[in-house]
Amino acid sequence: MRDLLRELGLNPETVIVIRGSDLLTQDSEVREDDEIEIRPVVSGGIGAVHEV
Amino acid sequence: MEVRRHHAAFCGPHFLEWFEHQVERAIHRERMFTPKDRVLVAVSGGKDSLVLWDVLLRLGYDATGLHLNLGIGAYSQDSQAKCEAFARAQDATLLVVDLPQVLGAGVEELARLSGRVPCSACGLSKRYLFNRVALEHGFDVVATAHNLDDEAAVLLGNLIAGNVEALVRQSPVLESTHPGLVRKVKPLYRIAERETAAYAVLRGIDYILDECPNSVGARTLLLKEALNLLERESPGTKQSLYWNFLEKIRPRLAAHHEREALGSCVHCGQPTTGEVCAFCRLTERVAQRMRVRALAHERAPQPV
Repeated sequence: MRDLLRELGLNPETVIVIRGSDLLTQDSEVREDDEIEIRPVVSGGIGAVHEV
Repeated sequence: MEVRRHHAAFCGPHFLEWFEHQVERAIHRERMFTPKDRVLVAVSGGKDSLVLWDVLLRLGYDATGLHLNLGIGAYSQDSQAKCEAFARAQDATLLVVDLPQVLGAGVEELARLSGRVPCSACGLSKRYLFNRVALEHGFDVVATAHNLDDEAAVLLGNLIAGNVEALVRQSPVLESTHPGLVRKVKPLYRIAERETAAYAVLRGIDYILDECPNSVGARTLLLKEALNLLERESPGTKQSLYWNFLEKIRPRLAAHHEREALGSCVHCGQPTTGEVCAFCRLTERVAQRMRVRALAHERAPQPV
């Protein structure tokens, strides 16, 4: 997760990452075929849903 | 869920427990209200306010929602729909004030006609109407969902601007200093924005993900971005900034600061430092511009 957010240029403090009904932590592993939602949390922020 | 500022990570159920405990602690610590008080919760349909309402109901408080429809097209319709769906699911009471119905104009038109920026007209309308509704319906306190990130960003902005008046007022509890002013409290002041989003997801709270179209480019966002850069490198920065301000700096500022006495607006009776309150001045100016516009329309050559 940490690497993925870095690749996307996202500050981990500004998003939560959701897989199914679970929240992922920075140490969580994300596989190629995982469908995850990276949801911005900053009010007034502009963000998109990313799929891996 | 990681809470790096507390050097902690929780599983879902323990995070929810920790979160609710933090809110309860804030309410007790700042003596915000008790289960006997009637609390009016300002709800926008966004994550923070619906989470606040959810937690207060779970903790057993008498919490009624108040939604202000700002008349910003589909965004306002969706926001109200989220509040209504939450209220139905919780079997809770929701009051709705429709700005276009009350004033004949939505917040964007109010801003245009009054010469204010939309966020200013919006903030003024919210402060006024939340207080007025609370008074008219006999609520003891108004609760808003300002979180740690909101408060830290506002604090940084006020420090940069040297706005002493605003710094003295910035507090999790705003006491009533006038018979027409209801106490205001911020039970989420100890909770980070990222934590309210996580709580909403774990509880399955359906909130509006779209942001107000007028907030794009708002200065608060820039301040939040700067604080989040600091937070990434040094967890706990936002908490230290705001809590140290509350404990060590604000009391000293307040001790040397005389607050302006509040009188009553000659039109509506609401608290004001002048003769006519800012909201009445705004609505008068808007009504005047609307009359001028209607007159111009009447006098314009009609198509044959």
